[in-house]
Amino acid sequence: MFGRFAPLVRGFVASLALCVACAAAAAADPAKVYRIAFPTAETGFDPAKVSDLYSNEVNEAIFDRLLTYDWLARPAKIVPMVAESMPEVSADGKVYTFHLRKGVYFADDPAFKGKKRELVAQDFVYSFERIADPANRSPWAFIFEGRVVGLDEAVAAAKKSGRFDYDAPIAGLTAVDRYTLRITLTRTDYMFLYAAAHTTLCAVAREVIEAYANDTMAHPVGTGPYVLKEWVRGSRIVLEANPGFRGFTWDFAPSTQDADWDHKVIADMKGKAMPQIGRVEISIMDEDQSRWLAFQQQQLDTLNVPLGFIAKGISPDGKLLPDLAAKKIELFRGNDLDVTYSTFNFKDPVIGGYTPEKIALRRAIIMGYRDDEERRIVRKGQMRYIAMPVPPGVVGYDPNYVAVDHYDPVLANALLDHFGYRKGADGWRTLPDGKPLVIHYATGSSAIEREFSELWKRSMDDLGLRIEFDIAKFADHLKAAKACHLMMWGAAWIADWPDADNFMQLLYGPNTGQSNNGCYQSPAFDKLYEASTHLPTDSTERMKLFLDMARQMQVDGAWQVSGSRLRNQLLWPWVLGYKKHPILQAEWVYMDMAPRS
Amino acid sequence: MTAYILRRLWQMIPTLLGVILLVFFLFNWVGGDPAYVLAGKISNQEQIDNIRRQLGVDQPYYVQLGIFIKQVLTGNFGASWSTNETISHILATRLGPSLTVTVPLLILDTLIAIGLALAVAYVRGSLTDRMVMIVCTVGLSVSILVYIIVFQYVFAYKLGWFPVQGWGDSFWQNLVKYASLPILIGLAVSIAPDLRLFRTFVLDEINQDYVRTARAKGVGENRIMWVHVLRNASIPIITNVMAQLPGLLVGVFLIERFFSIPGIGREVILAVERSDFPVIKAITVYVAVATMVFNLLADLMYKAVDPRVQLK
Repeated sequence: MFGRFAPLVRGFVASLALCVACAAAAAADPAKVYRIAFPTAETGFDPAKVSDLYSNEVNEAIFDRLLTYDWLARPAKIVPMVAESMPEVSADGKVYTFHLRKGVYFADDPAFKGKKRELVAQDFVYSFERIADPANRSPWAFIFEGRVVGLDEAVAAAKKSGRFDYDAPIAGLTAVDRYTLRITLTRTDYMFLYAAAHTTLCAVAREVIEAYANDTMAHPVGTGPYVLKEWVRGSRIVLEANPGFRGFTWDFAPSTQDADWDHKVIADMKGKAMPQIGRVEISIMDEDQSRWLAFQQQQLDTLNVPLGFIAKGISPDGKLLPDLAAKKIELFRGNDLDVTYSTFNFKDPVIGGYTPEKIALRRAIIMGYRDDEERRIVRKGQMRYIAMPVPPGVVGYDPNYVAVDHYDPVLANALLDHFGYRKGADGWRTLPDGKPLVIHYATGSSAIEREFSELWKRSMDDLGLRIEFDIAKFADHLKAAKACHLMMWGAAWIADWPDADNFMQLLYGPNTGQSNNGCYQSPAFDKLYEASTHLPTDSTERMKLFLDMARQMQVDGAWQVSGSRLRNQLLWPWVLGYKKHPILQAEWVYMDMAPRS
Repeated sequence: MTAYILRRLWQMIPTLLGVILLVFFLFNWVGGDPAYVLAGKISNQEQIDNIRRQLGVDQPYYVQLGIFIKQVLTGNFGASWSTNETISHILATRLGPSLTVTVPLLILDTLIAIGLALAVAYVRGSLTDRMVMIVCTVGLSVSILVYIIVFQYVFAYKLGWFPVQGWGDSFWQNLVKYASLPILIGLAVSIAPDLRLFRTFVLDEINQDYVRTARAKGVGENRIMWVHVLRNASIPIITNVMAQLPGLLVGVFLIERFFSIPGIGREVILAVERSDFPVIKAITVYVAVATMVFNLLADLMYKAVDPRVQLK
């Protein structure tokens, strides 16, 4: 097009791109150091291999995804990241075409042999294949399993040959050209948009992975705003602003849910070139007291208040205590996208099944459990009641939904009496056929788990139901649950994406042995769930299906839902623009720091 | 002497084999199946089987045991199942922080406890002796957790004499700045029992005829206590100190957790939480070997301290 001037024009464009990169790097001030603590050690920074919350938090700042979330919008809203725009989705919801931005570069690394390395569509093909590669035993392999045309066959071939062929074409995973990625799914699936925004589905460079094949965990090289500068495993992680990052301008609209807070954030941040923070220092502090005192001594800039220290910082009505407020410390309070619940095993001969007396037994147990006491006392008021098995902030949550399984011990006792669970001479109820009735609840040995056990014991005593606690390691309980051998088990689910589907799939019959640990297999529920998967995420019909699923689950007595946990984040006054995102974790990408006082 | 040492080294083999069997069967019995955790939030049986195959836990027990024995013989325990970090790197990087705390702690504890034991034994039965023993008994009754919480709160947070937690890159910075309070806590916990024990050893000697004879010959009290009494009391003291040496290698896990010290103790807890068997078995075997070696050294030191001791 530019004829003999083409090389000149290309050079100009390249220079312009470099200038933009330089501007982004210049925005991050090395003197702005953000210090936080992780309560548990990270495992590493290979996105395909790690599944823990804290490793993913670091990865989120290092690697880019195709899509991400708007920082302020609630419920969380998907927006493009390295995709130029939202993908083109075929009418049947099976083909997703992403057009990548040009001029996005990986951070410099010796693996690139001194050359600038641009992000291209093939990087995503390679990165996604890595997740499916059995040799990587990725905890996220489920995202692609049975989902992408041709990928399962490639995985099967890799299992047979012992090596995944990254050079073989896969029909459903194609780099159409340098900047166009096409993903063809095996079925209509509107949830893939969320998957494309998931931290794990980020781009890595094949050269880097192959150069550090023996320790990919220690060499994260991405196109994101930060690079790993220093890592003392299990002790300290230091990130620095990526000098080659393309940058972006902070420009987000306030949400309706947290309007006051958002306006303050906007006043601090609007129009700033990002990232602003030059260095992030993360310390691993296992103990609550250490984190609490370190924050008080200003060794940390923000702190998620540990449950054991709630009373020292937060009043029962959720306000900051005066001595902290006097130090100009601020409190950000919001609920995590999680649900805490107890499952019933539907294949258990005592408590499982779909006959009226079994449903009555489970519903009586649910109605007899003092869930309010759990939220007020065991959780120290840091859990909110939710009527459905979906937390607020998630697509599909309806604040007007009314539960049918409220705490009501009188009704629970009456229900048990009505269905023949009679009390024997010893005061304990038996099964309708007179056989002993003992509930086995799987739990662990931590302090909070012992508190739960006491609460369950007192609750079941009120009903005349004998309950015993089986204490074992989490892995053992998980193994037993997947085999449908646990009678009851307390669990929590943190959302992978902000959609009710991510919670309802835990109750979908065919997921038994995978994520459906209660082995609940209700044809009615499954029919509703399957119908929801064929509808676009914003469909009103889909929202109604979620309400019907919640109702069906409660009618069958599949879960006892305790609530959704609250997060109390304390901030020193020099922290600017803080807001906890329900899915994104690396908040410092969107923040700034004023000079410490 | 050489024959004795060789015989003792030979005797270590069945002991080590016992440790290997114990660790192996305990882990397989109560350790939990790591594949279920490593498989992530949503996994099917095929993925779990794939992980079990890669970890080798699908092999028959005798094969797994054979691999374990080979690892012990070669000293190559492979890599952590959860982080992929090599075991040799874990030991190399975590041992230093643990030793930075435990070595000064053991040296100071031993010196202070011996000095105080000699002093209170010298004034045995006096008010001072009784008061020191009462303080020791009270000190013994308090859990290390209480010492850590109170000392961290008072000395680090309220008084600001020490950092609340942390660890750096420089040895001297770590020793002086970050390890001081952990060492102080360690001393508060360990001096009381050691003082009581060492006092008993000294009292056993102080009433012996050779002490009376030395006094009758006009030998000074300092020389009697520090040379004659201490030398004769040193065999049980050496036994006690040598028994503590393997503990240096595993650190003080509670102190390491509270003060964010990246030591071995913390790593062991993490490994147990994650069912990370390669880390658990490597550290267990190293500690077992260290215990046996230090026991042998203790026996050799008896001979050096007291020529009357015969090594058979």
